[in-house]
Amino acid sequence: MIWKRLLPPVVLLLVWQGLSASGIIPAYKLPSPVAVAAGLADLIQTGMPPGHLLHVHIYYSLQRVLWGYALALLTAIPLGLLMGWSHTIRGLIEPLVEMIRPIPPLAWIPIAILWFGIGSKSAAFIIFLGAFFPILLNTISGVHSIDPVLIEAARVLNASRRFIFLKVLVPGAIPSILTGMRIGIGIGWMTLVAAEFTGVKQGYGLGYMIMTARDIQRSDEIIAGMLVIGIIGLGIDACLKTVERQTIKWR
Amino acid sequence: MKQTYTAVILIALMVIAGNGYSSETLNQPIRMAYLQSDIHHLALWVALEKGIFKENGANVEVKGVFKAGPEIMTAFAAGELDMAYVGEAPSTTAVANKAARAVVVSQVNTEGSALVVAKNTTGINNLSDLRGKTVAVPGHSTVQDFLLRRALRENGIDLKQVNIIVLKPPEMIGALRTGQIDAFIAWEPYPSKADTLSVGRNMATSKEMWPGHPCCVLISDHGFLVGHPEDVKAVVKSHVQATDYIHRNPDEAVKIGVKYTGMDETTVRQAMQNVHYTYELSIQGEKEYVQFLSELGYIHLDDPDKFVDYFINPDILKGILPQ
Repeated sequence: MIWKRLLPPVVLLLVWQGLSASGIIPAYKLPSPVAVAAGLADLIQTGMPPGHLLHVHIYYSLQRVLWGYALALLTAIPLGLLMGWSHTIRGLIEPLVEMIRPIPPLAWIPIAILWFGIGSKSAAFIIFLGAFFPILLNTISGVHSIDPVLIEAARVLNASRRFIFLKVLVPGAIPSILTGMRIGIGIGWMTLVAAEFTGVKQGYGLGYMIMTARDIQRSDEIIAGMLVIGIIGLGIDACLKTVERQTIKWR
Repeated sequence: MKQTYTAVILIALMVIAGNGYSSETLNQPIRMAYLQSDIHHLALWVALEKGIFKENGANVEVKGVFKAGPEIMTAFAAGELDMAYVGEAPSTTAVANKAARAVVVSQVNTEGSALVVAKNTTGINNLSDLRGKTVAVPGHSTVQDFLLRRALRENGIDLKQVNIIVLKPPEMIGALRTGQIDAFIAWEPYPSKADTLSVGRNMATSKEMWPGHPCCVLISDHGFLVGHPEDVKAVVKSHVQATDYIHRNPDEAVKIGVKYTGMDETTVRQAMQNVHYTYELSIQGEKEYVQFLSELGYIHLDDPDKFVDYFINPDILKGILPQ
C-alpha cells in the first residue's frame, strides 16, 4: 500500500525534473528538484544570508511559535470553557470575539510592530492571534457537545458546580479542544512565516530566510525553505495527532 | 488515478512554463518601474511630468512602484517589466544569479545614501562605534547593504560584530525613534527626512563612505532591448535630457520631487544635495560591485569580466551623446 501513496510525489518529481532538464520550465522560474536539493544543502552548510545557518533559523521560528501558541492555549482554553459553561459570560464576550476574529492576523503586523517592536515578541503576538480563535471556538463547541444528560445526572447526584466543571465539562471537551489545537498550530505556523517577512531584529527565522533568498534571487533556496516549513508543519501535526489518538484511547 | 495525477501536474507545470516574456508587445507601452519615494529616480519623474518621453516618441507606462530593488528584479524575472530604474547591487545580483536577464543602459545617479544615527545619541560617532550595534538596511544585496559592509570592512570591523537587519525604509525612522535600531542606512530622502523630523542625524553620507560610488541604473530586459532597440534608445535619450533638466532647473525639479515622494520641500531640497544625477556609466564601479558581492557569497561567477561586459551596455548611450 505504501507504494501507492508514494507514487504521486515520485511521478511529480520525475515529470518536474524532466520538464526542467528539457528547458520547458526555465530554471529562474522553477528550479529543478535536483537544484532545490542542492539549495537545501546550501541552506544547511552555507546559510542564507551566508553565515546564517538553517538550523538556527528553525530554532528561532519554533521558539516564536511556541511562545505565541502557549499564550493562545493559556488564554483560549480557559476562556472557551467559561464561555461554554456560562451563557452570561458568553453573551458578554462573544460580540467582541466575533468582531476581532475576521481580522486576518497579518493585518495586525503594522500595529504589532508599533506595540512590540520588530522581532520575536511581534511574531509571537501574530502567532497568538492566528492560533487563539480556532482553539477558543473549538473549546466552546466541545463544551456544548457534551450530552446534557451527563450534566443533569451529575446534578442529580448532588455534585458541586466545581466538580461538574472539572470532572464533566473539561474531560468531555478535550477531543474538541485537541482538534482546535491542531487547527491553531497549523494556522500559527503559516502565520509565522508571513510575520517574519516584515523583518526581525534577531536576523533569524524561516520566513526571514526566504525573504533574504528572494533578495539575493536564489529561487532554489526559496523552494527549499518552503519545503522545510512544510515538513516541520507536518511533523508538528503528526505529534498532535498522536496525542489525540492516545487521548481518545484513554476515553 | 495515476493518469489524472499526471495530467493535473502537467497542466500546472505548463502554466508555470508558459507565461513568460513574449515578443508580442509591438506598439505596446514600455512597461517601467521605479522605487517608492526614491529621490534618485527623479529623472524618470521629470521625464514623465515634462512630457520628455512623449517628445522622443517613447510610450512609457509606469507598471509598478516598488519598495526595494529585489522586488523589481523579481518582476523582471516574471516578465512583467521592460525597463526600470533600480539599484546597481540588486540588478547585478539578480542577473548574476540568472533570475532575470537584463542589461544596464544608463547610469541614473551616483552617491545619494546616508548612514543615520539617533539625534541624541552620543556613543556613535564613527563607523568603529557600530561594533555590537543593530543597523538596518533596506534589503540584502541592496546598494546600501553593500555600502555599509564595504565601509565596515574598510574600517577593519568584522561583519559578524555588527547586527545588520532588514527593514523597509518607511519603517526605519520609526524604529530609530523608538530605539529598536541604533542606526540605519537608506537612500535619500529618508536620511534627510530623519533629520528634518529631528529623529536622526547623518553620521556619514555615502559620498564619504565611497566617493563617487555608482548607485541607481536604468536597465532594460534583454529580450526587450533586442526586440525594441528604438524604444530603449528613446527612453535613454529622454533620461539624458531629464537629467540635464534637473541640473538646469533645480527648483522645478524640487517641485516634482515633492510631488512624487510626498515629502516636504525642505527635506527634498536637502536630499537632492546628497545625490549626484548623472548618466555616465562606470565599468570600474560595476567591477567593484561584482567583486564584493562575490566575496559576500551572494553571487558566484565563473568569469566576472565577461559578466560585466554583458551587463553594462554603453552602446545606446554612446549613440546619443555628442562625441
